[in-house]
Amino acid sequence: MTLELSGLTNAYGEFTFGPVDLTVEEEVLAVLGPSGSGKTTLLSLVAGIAEPDAGSIVLDGRELVGRPLEDRRVGMVFQEGALFPHMTARENVEYAATSDERVAELAATLELEGVLDRRPATLSGGERQRVALARTLAADPDILLLDEPLSSLDAPIRKRLRDELHGLFASLDIPVLYVTHDQRTATALGDRLAIVRDGELEQVGTPSAVLDRPASRFVARFTGTENVFEGTVAESVGGGEGVWVQVGDVRFRTSTSDVSGSAASASGVSGAADPGSSVTVCIHPSRVELEPVDASVDGGAEQANTVTGTVARWLNEGNEYRVDVEVEGGLTLTASVRPPTFERLGIDTGSELRVLVPPESIHLIPETERPR
Amino acid sequence: MATEPTGSTDSTQPTKSTHARRLGSADWLSIALVLGGLLLVYYFAPLLSLFLSASPSEVLGRLGDPSVRSAATTSLLSASITTVVATVFGLPLAYWLARAETPWKNGVLAVVVLPLVLPPTVGGVVLLTVFGPNTLLGGTAAAAGLPLTRSLAGVVLAQTFVASPFVVVTAKAAFESVDRTLEHASRSLGKSRWATARNVTLPLAGPGILAGVTLAFARAMGEFGATMMVAYYPRTMPVEIWVSFQSLGLDSAYPVAILLVVISVAALLVLNTVASNPWR
Repeated sequence: MTLELSGLTNAYGEFTFGPVDLTVEEEVLAVLGPSGSGKTTLLSLVAGIAEPDAGSIVLDGRELVGRPLEDRRVGMVFQEGALFPHMTARENVEYAATSDERVAELAATLELEGVLDRRPATLSGGERQRVALARTLAADPDILLLDEPLSSLDAPIRKRLRDELHGLFASLDIPVLYVTHDQRTATALGDRLAIVRDGELEQVGTPSAVLDRPASRFVARFTGTENVFEGTVAESVGGGEGVWVQVGDVRFRTSTSDVSGSAASASGVSGAADPGSSVTVCIHPSRVELEPVDASVDGGAEQANTVTGTVARWLNEGNEYRVDVEVEGGLTLTASVRPPTFERLGIDTGSELRVLVPPESIHLIPETERPR
Repeated sequence: MATEPTGSTDSTQPTKSTHARRLGSADWLSIALVLGGLLLVYYFAPLLSLFLSASPSEVLGRLGDPSVRSAATTSLLSASITTVVATVFGLPLAYWLARAETPWKNGVLAVVVLPLVLPPTVGGVVLLTVFGPNTLLGGTAAAAGLPLTRSLAGVVLAQTFVASPFVVVTAKAAFESVDRTLEHASRSLGKSRWATARNVTLPLAGPGILAGVTLAFARAMGEFGATMMVAYYPRTMPVEIWVSFQSLGLDSAYPVAILLVVISVAALLVLNTVASNPWR
C-alpha cells in the first residue's frame, strides 16, 4: 500500500497549498509544521474533504481525485475525535465495523471495554480519541490520517497515548500520515518527518536527519535548534575533513565541509564550502556542553570548540534546563542541560562557564534559501 | 451622578459608589421584569378571558353542531397533510440552504421567506392567479375531478404556501448546528451521503426540525387569510369562527374559538412529546 501525491495544489483564499510531491510507503510519516502551514489541508485533500485544483493522489494504484469521500477507503481521525454524540462508544465503532469480531478486537487493543456503553459526552479526552481511532480502524482503511489527535489532551495522557500509538502504528501495514505541530510527538512517532511551511514541503527525511541536518533555517528553528547564526567559511582544516567557520568573533571548527542540508534537502544544493562563502551555522542546544572554567581539558574535549562565557539567563523546563551563555563578541549560545549537570555546575545568572561544541555537532546550511 | 464629594474618607467612598451601582442595576432588572411581565399578561389575559366567556357545556354543545365538527375535521386533516407536505419538500431545501456555498443561497432564502412577509390575503390572491378555476392549471385539475379551489386540496395549497417556510427556515438552522466534521467522519467511514444524512445529520438536527414542523402545524391550523381566498369551502375552523362571528355575533364565535385553541394546544403537546430528545 503506497500513497503517491504529485503536483498537488489547492488555493484557498490567500493561502496556496503546494505544489506537493510526496510518496508514503507503509510507514508513519509525521507531518510537522506551524499552524496555518497547510498540514490539515494536506489531510483534507487526501481524505476528499477538499478537492485539489491540480495534481493527483494515488493510493494503492487508485486515483483518488474526483472520488467522493466514501469511496476512498481513507481513514481519518479528527482533531477532537468527531464522535457521533448521539451514539454510545460501541455504536460509534460498530457504525463502520465490518464484523462484530473486529469491534471486540479493537476494543481490546485500545482498552475500551469499560467505556463502550457510554456516550462521547461522558468520556475523557483520551478515551474519546481511542474510540475515534477504533472507529476509523474498524472500517479497515487503506491509509490512516490523523489530524493532531493528541493536541487537546493533558500532558500525561498525551504522553501515554503517544506511546500506545507508537505500538499500534507498528502493527499496521498501511501508510500513516500523522499531522502535528509538536516536534516531540512527530519525532517519537514518525519513521520520517515532513516539515511543512506555507503550504510547501520544506524537508522530508528521517527524524535524525531532519533534526541533525536541517535543510533550512526554518527547519532548524522549528525543530528546536535555537543556535542559528550567520557565518562565513574561513578556511579548510589542515590535513583533513572540515572547515573553520567564523561567527562574529568566534571561530568554530566543523568536522565536515559538506554544506548540503540532507539527501532529501528541499534546495538540493550540496557541495564543498568555499572559503569566503556565507553559511548558516546550526548547533542544537542538546549538543552544547558546559563545564567549569577551571576543569582540566581532557582528551575528548581537546577536539571540541571551546569558548568561555557568562550565563545570561536560565530556564527550568522540567526535564532539562535551558541555559543561555554569552560568549565572546556578544554571541549567545543556548545549551540544554540535564538537572544533575545543572546542579553539579551550580549554574546561576552570571556564572562563568566553559562551553564545548563538538565539531560534528555543527551543521552548515548554504545561503541559497528562497527568500520569504 | 452627583459631583464627587471632596475630602471624604477613603473608607466610605467605595462603599457608597458600590451601593449606588448595585441599586442602579437592580432598578434596570426590575424595569426589564415589569416590561416582560406586562407582555406575558397581555398574551395570557385575553386567552383566559376567552375561556371564561363560554361555559364548558356551551362548548361541548357546539361540538354537536355538524358544521363545527366538519370544520374541526377539515382543519385537523388539512393541517396534518400540510405539515407532511411541508416537511417532505422543506427538509431537502433546508439542507441545501444549510450546506450550499453559492452566492445563489441568499436569493433562494429570500424566496423562502417571501410567504412569511406577504399578507396572507395577498398570498391567496397570488395562489388564485395560478390555481384559480379560470387558469390553465386550475381548469385542467378541475376538469380532471380535482378542483384546486373550494376543496380540501385548495385548503392544503393555501396552508402550505403560508406554513411551509417555517419548516425550511427552522430546519436550516438545525442543520447548520450539526458539525460538518461529523458528516465528513461518517462519509470517510464509507457511508454514502444518504446514509450519513439518515444516521448522523437527521438525528442530530431532529429536535430543531421538529420545532419547525410544530410551528408549521400551528400556523396551518390557524391559517385564515389565504385559505378564505382560495377555499372558503370546506370551512376550516378559523373560517368557521369568522362565519359564526359574521352571522350570529361574537358570543357564538367563542365556543368555536375555544375548541380551536384546545385542539391546537393538544396537537402541539403531542408533537412536543414525540420531539423529546432522548440523549439530552
